[in-house]
Amino acid sequence: MLRTTLAETRLLAKRPGTWILLGIWTLMATMFGYVIPHVSRNKAAGLSGIRDLLPDQVTTTALSGFPFFGGVMVLILAVMTFGGDYGWNVVKTLLTQRSSRMAVFASKSLALAIWLLPFVATAMVASIGASEIVASAQNAPGDLQSVGTLLKGALAAWLILAVWATLGVLLATVTRGTSFAIGLGILYGLVIEGLLSAFFDGISTLEPLLNGLIRTNGYSLMAPLGNIREIARDNGPGSFSGPYVGGWQALTVLVAYLALFTGISAAIFRRRDVN
Amino acid sequence: MIEAIGERTTAIETRQLTRAYGERLAVDRLDLRIRQGEVFGFLGPNGAGKTTTLRMLLGLIAPTSGSAVVAGGSPGSAESLDQVGAMIEQPGFYPYLSGAENLRLMAAYSRVEPQRVAAVLDQVDLGDRAGDKFSAYSQGMKQRLGLAAALLKDPVVLILDEPSNGLNPAGMAEMRTLIRSLADEGRTVLLSSHLLGEIEQICDRIGVIREGQLVAEGTVAELRGDELLSVVATPFDAAWNYLLSRQDLEIVDTADGAIQLRTDRARTASITRGLVEAGFDVTELTWRRQTLEDVFLDLTNRVEAA
Repeated sequence: MLRTTLAETRLLAKRPGTWILLGIWTLMATMFGYVIPHVSRNKAAGLSGIRDLLPDQVTTTALSGFPFFGGVMVLILAVMTFGGDYGWNVVKTLLTQRSSRMAVFASKSLALAIWLLPFVATAMVASIGASEIVASAQNAPGDLQSVGTLLKGALAAWLILAVWATLGVLLATVTRGTSFAIGLGILYGLVIEGLLSAFFDGISTLEPLLNGLIRTNGYSLMAPLGNIREIARDNGPGSFSGPYVGGWQALTVLVAYLALFTGISAAIFRRRDVN
Repeated sequence: MIEAIGERTTAIETRQLTRAYGERLAVDRLDLRIRQGEVFGFLGPNGAGKTTTLRMLLGLIAPTSGSAVVAGGSPGSAESLDQVGAMIEQPGFYPYLSGAENLRLMAAYSRVEPQRVAAVLDQVDLGDRAGDKFSAYSQGMKQRLGLAAALLKDPVVLILDEPSNGLNPAGMAEMRTLIRSLADEGRTVLLSSHLLGEIEQICDRIGVIREGQLVAEGTVAELRGDELLSVVATPFDAAWNYLLSRQDLEIVDTADGAIQLRTDRARTASITRGLVEAGFDVTELTWRRQTLEDVFLDLTNRVEAA
């Protein structure tokens, strides 16, 4: 399993699409997290107007794009990882080697999980860099948050991305391809996670539904790490104004999604005919 | 030489293997037995159920009913896949990886040493182009890479589906030579094709499938049947009556004005002399054997008519 996981990890590294997505995501995280807010805010307000852009708030600001834009990026990565095998007919070549279907599925899934780490790391490193530049430009303190807070943030970011990635795996496995799966994934992200939560926020009858969305639980998981409520509310096209649930509830829901999406995908991958 | 699979004499066996898609039976109660070490040709028109059968033998699709044993294990099981190499239709690989990189990935899944990759690439004569991207390969090279992937495990059983698909005549000849040499090393080869010449040249035995059912099975010679003496003589009816009266031959058929006889080759002169002495004009007298194409068309049309 280790050898096949490493082989799949290298396979993703060789794929140009992986680097393109990583580049776009890092750029988006920096642009929406720092560049656009810094340019658009009222300079007259001084440091109080850019408080969240300083290094001591970097975890929350860096993570603010993960539950939505970051999620959609890794959903595409996951669809490419699994759906591409159907499109190029590689799946039948893989499944006629010596490994079981579950071993193939697990190797690909683990490689994908490993590749989520650079998606977390590059966004955080770029955000740290951007926050230090802002601090330097404003003559503000450049002290970062504690390593513990940064690590908690990274773990939370990885979990959020993992949920989106497993949703991508599920869509690719169900549709046995890439185009339709990516379309469905983006549609889900924009319409269900984006528009519905924005339109129906405050309607009490829909609250259980909104409380179950990936984005709601993603932002709720980050809430204990800093002032995410304020940052996410002003986060441009990916803005989120609630609802929020408790941290443990969010963790439970996200882990449940992870298990559910993975379980269904694995069952389909194991049982379904390969034509 | 390849080691035999234990004490078994049957490499692949299916029992009442059936696959239905809704109301349509793609494979219908197929009983097939392929012996250890033989090259078995699986022949049939497009849509006859060849590829569906092969996919079932590899565990890629599940049968609706019936069972199969491939290299001592159930299709798709670790026990079976350990000893089976396969290429199903167009070989599928990652276009952005080189041939060697693709095979290294497959080697990881096959649990064989990466060094084996160079050996199989040389075996299919792709060693010089191992570093080229798969997307840059010609159709023939893609087919050969597919065969290389099938050989990674040094399998005892090879299942090849239309390996010459898309190849030019020279490529087809190369592929035939390669498959024959692999069989000569002691491997069992199940070769699906609709190319009768290829099947005839490579295979020890043949099974003909039509609408999911096995309609004939045997060696090429068995399927082509006896050599027949074809006689064209006039007047036809009188010649037919004369030949019918002879005890040393059997009239098998009449076609296109010729009377087909089963007899001993040594009797050719006697029959010719008898016809001439009886006053018939003999315009043609030829020994003929049905071609595999004749047999194939006859078998498939017969089922269609039935």
